[in-house]
Amino acid sequence: MRERIRSAYHTLFGASARAFGTLSVVLLVVLAVVPARDHLREWLHYQNEYLNLIRNRSDGLSLARRFQGGVQQIWLPELGVVDRCATCHIALKEASLAGVGPQPFLPHPPIPHSLTEFGCVMCHRGQGAATTVEEAHRSTLAWEQPILPARYIESSCGECHERPLTGTPQLGAGRAMLARYGCVHCHKLTSPESRTVAGTDDPPPLKHIAAKTTREWIFAWIKNPQAYAATATMPNFQLSDDDARDISAFLIGQSTPYTTEAIKVPPVPATDDAAALQQGSSTYGESFCASCHAMQNAAGLLVGGDLGPELTRIGSKVRPEWLAEWIRDPKTYDPDTRMPHFRFEAKDIGLIMGFLESKTDSDFLANVHLSAATPSQITHGKQLVVERGCAVCHDINGVAHQENFAPDLTAVGSLPLSKIIFLPGMPHTLPDYIAAKIRKPRSFGNALKMPQFTLSDAQVDALVTALLAQTSRGKTLPPALRIPAPEPSTYQPAGRAGQLMNDLRCFSCHTINGRGGDMAPDLSWEGTSVQRSWLVKFLKAPNTLRPALIRRMPKFNLSDEEANVLADYILTVYQTPAFDRDQIGASKFTSGDAAHGKDLYYGKYACNSCHILDPNKDKGYIGPTLTQVGLRLNAAWIFRWLKNAQALRPGSLELNWNMNDDDARAITAFLMQPKAPPQQGASK
Amino acid sequence: MTEPKDFTASMDSDSRRTPVRVAFVTRRTSPQVRTRDDRYVMTYPEVLFRAAVASEILLLALALVSLFWNAPLEGLADPMQTPNPAKAPWYFLGLQELLHYFPPVVGGVLIPTLVVLALIVIPYFGINIEAEGFWIRNRDAKVRTLILVVALVAVFLSWFKVWAVLIPTVAIVALTLVGAFPSAHAGAFRRWLHLKPLPFWIMSWFLIVATILTLIGTFFRGAGWALVWPWEVD
Amino acid sequence: MANLVEEFAEFRKSRVWRSVFRAGSGQSNLHRSLAVQQNVFLHLAAVKVRRRALEFGVTWYLGTLSLACFLILTVTGILLMLYYHPSVPQAYADMKDLQFVVSAGVFLRNLHRWSAHAMVLLVFAHLFKVFYRGAYRPPREFNWVIGVILLMITLFLSYTGYLLPWDQLAFWAITVGSNILAAVPLLGAKIRFLILGGHTVNANALLRFYVLHCVILPLIAALFVAVHFWRIRKDGGLYTGEKSDD
Repeated sequence: MRERIRSAYHTLFGASARAFGTLSVVLLVVLAVVPARDHLREWLHYQNEYLNLIRNRSDGLSLARRFQGGVQQIWLPELGVVDRCATCHIALKEASLAGVGPQPFLPHPPIPHSLTEFGCVMCHRGQGAATTVEEAHRSTLAWEQPILPARYIESSCGECHERPLTGTPQLGAGRAMLARYGCVHCHKLTSPESRTVAGTDDPPPLKHIAAKTTREWIFAWIKNPQAYAATATMPNFQLSDDDARDISAFLIGQSTPYTTEAIKVPPVPATDDAAALQQGSSTYGESFCASCHAMQNAAGLLVGGDLGPELTRIGSKVRPEWLAEWIRDPKTYDPDTRMPHFRFEAKDIGLIMGFLESKTDSDFLANVHLSAATPSQITHGKQLVVERGCAVCHDINGVAHQENFAPDLTAVGSLPLSKIIFLPGMPHTLPDYIAAKIRKPRSFGNALKMPQFTLSDAQVDALVTALLAQTSRGKTLPPALRIPAPEPSTYQPAGRAGQLMNDLRCFSCHTINGRGGDMAPDLSWEGTSVQRSWLVKFLKAPNTLRPALIRRMPKFNLSDEEANVLADYILTVYQTPAFDRDQIGASKFTSGDAAHGKDLYYGKYACNSCHILDPNKDKGYIGPTLTQVGLRLNAAWIFRWLKNAQALRPGSLELNWNMNDDDARAITAFLMQPKAPPQQGASK
Repeated sequence: MTEPKDFTASMDSDSRRTPVRVAFVTRRTSPQVRTRDDRYVMTYPEVLFRAAVASEILLLALALVSLFWNAPLEGLADPMQTPNPAKAPWYFLGLQELLHYFPPVVGGVLIPTLVVLALIVIPYFGINIEAEGFWIRNRDAKVRTLILVVALVAVFLSWFKVWAVLIPTVAIVALTLVGAFPSAHAGAFRRWLHLKPLPFWIMSWFLIVATILTLIGTFFRGAGWALVWPWEVD
Repeated sequence: MANLVEEFAEFRKSRVWRSVFRAGSGQSNLHRSLAVQQNVFLHLAAVKVRRRALEFGVTWYLGTLSLACFLILTVTGILLMLYYHPSVPQAYADMKDLQFVVSAGVFLRNLHRWSAHAMVLLVFAHLFKVFYRGAYRPPREFNWVIGVILLMITLFLSYTGYLLPWDQLAFWAITVGSNILAAVPLLGAKIRFLILGGHTVNANALLRFYVLHCVILPLIAALFVAVHFWRIRKDGGLYTGEKSDD
């Protein structure tokens, strides 16, 4: 045996020439392994599996014809996209395979973009260039961005679309929350157009807080704002009793009087006067305070809007003198408030006060007992106010407004993983990190300043989605792809009408020329749309136009003169440039037109599915009631509306009928026709 | 043929001793030239094949390594994001380690320049060529000088807290001194040490220090160039 | 098989073969000497080598292996150049393409990378081996100097190649390295500017390193390698330590 080994060795390596020959053969074998390995690539395996999958299907032949072997890629140089996902995800465009195979053979759900327009990783993240499962989907040293979990996928829409989209409710909700929950006060969020996102939560100034409420209430509130109002947007700063005591001491101490005039409190009905309370409740209701303020009803359900604070326990909070003046004219206390100046009579103020002061919660302040503040407590309180960043949101005497209090989140969606310190045991991904930060900020260290928010899982997901949309890609995208948010407008109406609109805070709810809220209709073209007589009447005594809506414009108790000034201004200034409102005179219609229009209204277009024209017959609750539309709207507006409502009011629920001129004219004639007098008067 | 010969005939194939070869063919002898010289081999084919075999073994080893271990690749270069630590290629890590101790002019410029110059001039100094055992002459004076020099170097290194250089330096000097006084019945190792020339000691010192610094820089330096264990280095 | 050998032997006698290899096909030392002398690549080397110089312990074949590394690197490097654009950030994308779509691309890159490391190691080892054997002594002192220069070129070749993948590792290694240069008194910043083509590592530096790595340095290295080999012969062959030979 040994002899044979020796002789074999001699044959193979006996001389240097022999060794050279032997080694050359070995080397060739080893080098042959290299191209051989190309045939073991993962994607080849998937392509073979796909062919097996479609082999016995009835549409197998056409599927096989569309199948292309080899590496497939979407190459978009201007976007930096090289996506080879389709190498394994073969059936992305084969709708017939929906629900058939396992991944990677499922088709892509329908989306507004073409699949080859942006590639895959623009939305899904992951490594597009990779052709192995591991490298494509998971985070590695050479690729930090793993696949984005499907539940945050809307964030990718937000990288280009800054304008709200109807198809991305989660992203929209998250963005609204960033502004509403005060995130953007501490964290800067800058759009690629260098605009800073502003808060929508309107934190109240605290410079005169002692006139508004008591130190005990402040103590209880800052300890746990959600105990006072479940909808409170102020987060819980997890203050100790001592810290809350000292902060409340400082806040009361720094407060100054807000008016030098003596406040006359109108007579307020006694708390046991049930009739007066009922009357106050009616006044509260008729003034449509609930359009902005929510309140828990007897069943514990929250009813009302969220523009103003919740009033469920308001009686335990405010001082009567403050409340009286606030209801009379809120601007005395807070010149920047969003609440309108209602022209209430003293009697009504008393009634509303009586109603509001009955809304108390004896438990809320039951355990709060504070002794008089000492100077050292006040000093400590001020220090805490500075440390906790109270002045980031609130105006406080003696504490400067704090800028850039927390890290800038403009590009948090592309935060490199290497810069993140994860908690032990948590998945090392960006969404998990952001979610954990939002859910429990102090779990990353007790010294962290970020307060605790009370959020549902869905809300956290929405916030994570909105934050993931904040990537640095915004700056590198071709400008043509970006859909920036509308330029914020500083529009200010002029003259006396302008003053009035300011006083009435029209912009809190209405948008005009790009400025204002979205609770009520855009009024930019209102002058083209409505008739003057109706407008004056409506301003004096608003009624609801939509049967399904519980909110409507509050009654401001305007004088005739004020209503006329406003109506004149609106009719003169707020006109669409597209057409003339007097283009079509109502008198030109014949009764034949109207009859034809009626047929079309109930027949061809079935307008009665959504609109009520005859309250006894029609059951449409989607659109506004049309009983008095002939008195409210101009014929030209109706005509244009029927032809293309979206052009007049983008986003309107009205279908785009694309009606021909004759049909539109006939229906306009029918709608402009005087109807039988309505059952109810225009005013309530 | 009556005149006396002024030459002697002999046979030799050593080209250096007898550059001109004249062969006398007499009746009793036949021409004989040594065709082989066992001390030499022909470059072609023996040397070429050997070189090829060595190269093939190397290529084979590298190919196998390349089949099983992938070359490192990290994320796209991002000037805004500094990795911690940022490391130079491994053969410069000894230098980077020096930079940790010394100001850049010393660690980054002076020392490497001196090293390169020293390497270049090696064959031009008699001491490197004679290669006389360090301890063979003037032993006591050399011991004194050595201790003085090493003490100065040690103070310098301690000043900059360069323990990673100081410790091997002291160890090598100790080893040198072990060879300085070989007794009659000293072991072979000690006699071997005794015969080593100064250049040997300096080069060994350089090699060991450079290796240690490179190893520390490669395997024992983590974030902030702090000392860590090899398994904690990313 | 035997037939093939015979036919090959016949072929070596043909006019075509003789026009290429003039040494002919003989087995004598004269033929073998001519085979080396008449070859432009081999003529740098001696015709005969001392038997002892071929023993493994004498040289560890470190010079041969360094040359082999250089050749492997040249071949793999040229193949890699077929897939590589020295531009930002395409250079990095090319790494990904090598990894994911080029046939045997990963292997090519691995082989180039590991051979580069091996070459640095082998050249260093060569230097120390030569030193410890005393092979730098006259008459070989100038070849030692060329060797040191070749070491510097090797380091610079490796260093310039380090940047080419344009990943974080490359970028910061070169940044750290070039910052060391900036410490040179007076001229530091200027030297760094010259090498990087800018004040920081950027697209200019990448292009500059690419040209250095693929053209300038390999040419210089080849030149010095040639001189290095030629000098071995001129300085009396490989140093074996045999007294009688010197």
